[in-house]
Amino acid sequence: MGLVTKSAPQNPGTTLVQTTPSSWREAHDSAIHSGGRFRGLYAVGPDEARCSDRAGRDETGTTIRSVFSFGDQVKVLSARAVPGRSGELRGAGASLAGASAAPAGASVTGASGSGWTFPSIVDILPAAAWDEREAHDLYGVDFAGHVPMRPLISHSDCLKSWTVPVVGAGTHQVAVGPIHAGVIESGHFRFHVVGERVLHLDLRLFYNHRGLERAAVGAPLDTGLAIVQRACGACAVSNTLAFAQACEEVLGLWPDAALKTQRTVLVELERLYNHLNDIGAICAGIGFAPGTMAFAALKERAQRLIGRLTGHRFMFGTIQIAKGAFCLAGGERREARQELRSIGEDSMRSWREVLFNTSVQNRVTAVGVLDASSAARFGTVGPAARASGIPADTRSESPRLDYRELQPPSPVDPTGDVAARMALRAAELETTLALLDTLLRCDLHDATAGAVAEGSPVGVGVVEGPRGATTCIVESDGTTIQRLHLRTASYANWPAVAHATAGNLLPDFPLVNKSFELCYACSDR
Amino acid sequence: MFVLLRQLHSDRKTAGIARPARRLSLAVRHVDAGSCNACEHELGATANLFYDLSRHGITITASPRHADVLLITGAITSRMVIPLLSAYQAMPEPRLVAALGDCAMGLGVLGDHRDLAGPLEHLLPVDVRIPGCPPTPEQILDALASSGLAGRATTLR
Ligand code: SF4
Repeated sequence: MGLVTKSAPQNPGTTLVQTTPSSWREAHDSAIHSGGRFRGLYAVGPDEARCSDRAGRDETGTTIRSVFSFGDQVKVLSARAVPGRSGELRGAGASLAGASAAPAGASVTGASGSGWTFPSIVDILPAAAWDEREAHDLYGVDFAGHVPMRPLISHSDCLKSWTVPVVGAGTHQVAVGPIHAGVIESGHFRFHVVGERVLHLDLRLFYNHRGLERAAVGAPLDTGLAIVQRACGACAVSNTLAFAQACEEVLGLWPDAALKTQRTVLVELERLYNHLNDIGAICAGIGFAPGTMAFAALKERAQRLIGRLTGHRFMFGTIQIAKGAFCLAGGERREARQELRSIGEDSMRSWREVLFNTSVQNRVTAVGVLDASSAARFGTVGPAARASGIPADTRSESPRLDYRELQPPSPVDPTGDVAARMALRAAELETTLALLDTLLRCDLHDATAGAVAEGSPVGVGVVEGPRGATTCIVESDGTTIQRLHLRTASYANWPAVAHATAGNLLPDFPLVNKSFELCYACSDR
Repeated sequence: MFVLLRQLHSDRKTAGIARPARRLSLAVRHVDAGSCNACEHELGATANLFYDLSRHGITITASPRHADVLLITGAITSRMVIPLLSAYQAMPEPRLVAALGDCAMGLGVLGDHRDLAGPLEHLLPVDVRIPGCPPTPEQILDALASSGLAGRATTLR
């Protein structure tokens, strides 16, 4: 494989594999073929490139890393481009041409020599497309063979630079956002349509880009926790837990049984209120008000319970590094189980009403279809992937959490349409409620994490949040953060939303969009 | 459908919320200018049957053209400045500005200063501040219904 395995730390989860730009594609090929799931690609190093001109930066060169998970094991591929070593990239050019990326060979040879150019992997791993665009926009990394390199986070360019040209008789564009009609986060959609039919959808998100990852550089680990928490309120537990797990890996710590259970309870509570919210949101997309109101009320009940149990309706502050941050007395747990049972009964009753309502089913069946091969190609995660028949639930490979009692949800016909995504959430609600009922019988006191290994320079946490696997990567010396990268499930799934929308009617977009119910804040960071 | 309606009816009864003494009329336009989405969730929750925003005569409008109040969440990212100001400019006078959540109030904001343009006060005249991270639906409702906001919007008219 031509990989040089260097500095594999004494770590239960993550292995750092050093490669070179010329073996970058090969390393990815072998990771994909040995069953690795892509979890993100990011650039390390100076980001001054985005505000200053590019002169001078070629002296430093940069490093990119790419993360794969193999069950509960994580492999981080790392490559450093050194300025002036043109020989390396010519090699990559040859292999690119061999991999039938037609325009790639030329641009690779042309760009060689810069310490900022790597061969693109989007032809073998389309899921990395946004990651490469982000590394280009924020860190000035060039990816030879990624043509055209459309801006993703950078908003300064003209319309033509970020939209796919769609031409033909009667085609026109419909622009929506960044400010939407209701209480929705900001983001811009540009539909290319003929009549009512959407041919293609270009997304322009990142209006909520707050530079959170850059703000974390040089900050202590605990500040990182606050930063990650505010990346997204609705996924606060999943994101902060992924961060805490990454930090614990950096510090060589492992959670004890009580901490595992406690955190599992929190993640499942987050899934509970989000799934209730999402079913209600789909009803809103249909225009089925009784369903919207019923599930909004159920979500409110869940959040009130969560507020009573944890002190915050979104569970802010409940995840800490290496320690538990909430405890429940036996009485509180009993009361919680009782209320959860009641929420469960009412939600199943409401769900049956939605499921057997003909006009609802007419709207959701065969709409917004994401087929299994597209889901796999885009690296789709979470309920969206599972509704398309891709078994993507990282809960069963989370040794840092307590999923011994996880029973797989009742099977849903994986048709990949809005109906399947909605039905899957309803099925998962039952699993989550059953799991919570079991976990809340356990004592949740005195949770902590103990030392099991030497520290490691790179830690990776993967947590199955309500929208799917969220990955957080922390590079640290054990006290301050050198690089933080948060690749949430929403970030992974946005390209699938655009794909599933194409071919549908424009008025069905809210419905398709809501069936994925992705966060903008999570991806924008 | 009947089962759903019956359930909603009984939920509404348990919620036990009162009809307000005086109904107001207030059209609110929401703009997310860099929030974490929790403020949006809580603002959205004010419409559920446990709070029922509309019983106060408060509506969330789809256009700034119809709005009395511009309700802003988030840390004000540099990319949202232009859309935010155009929404404000599109509003008919008299118009009010409300900051929802600590971020919009410029408190405890996290992020890279190159990507942030806040605080909101430097961009628009803020009339109402609703603190919290996020404020609860009650707090939002109270602030909108009883801060005299509607009164002010009326006297300004
Ligand atoms: S105030 Fe808190 S809840 Fe509201 S957007 Fe800011 S971080 Fe999120």
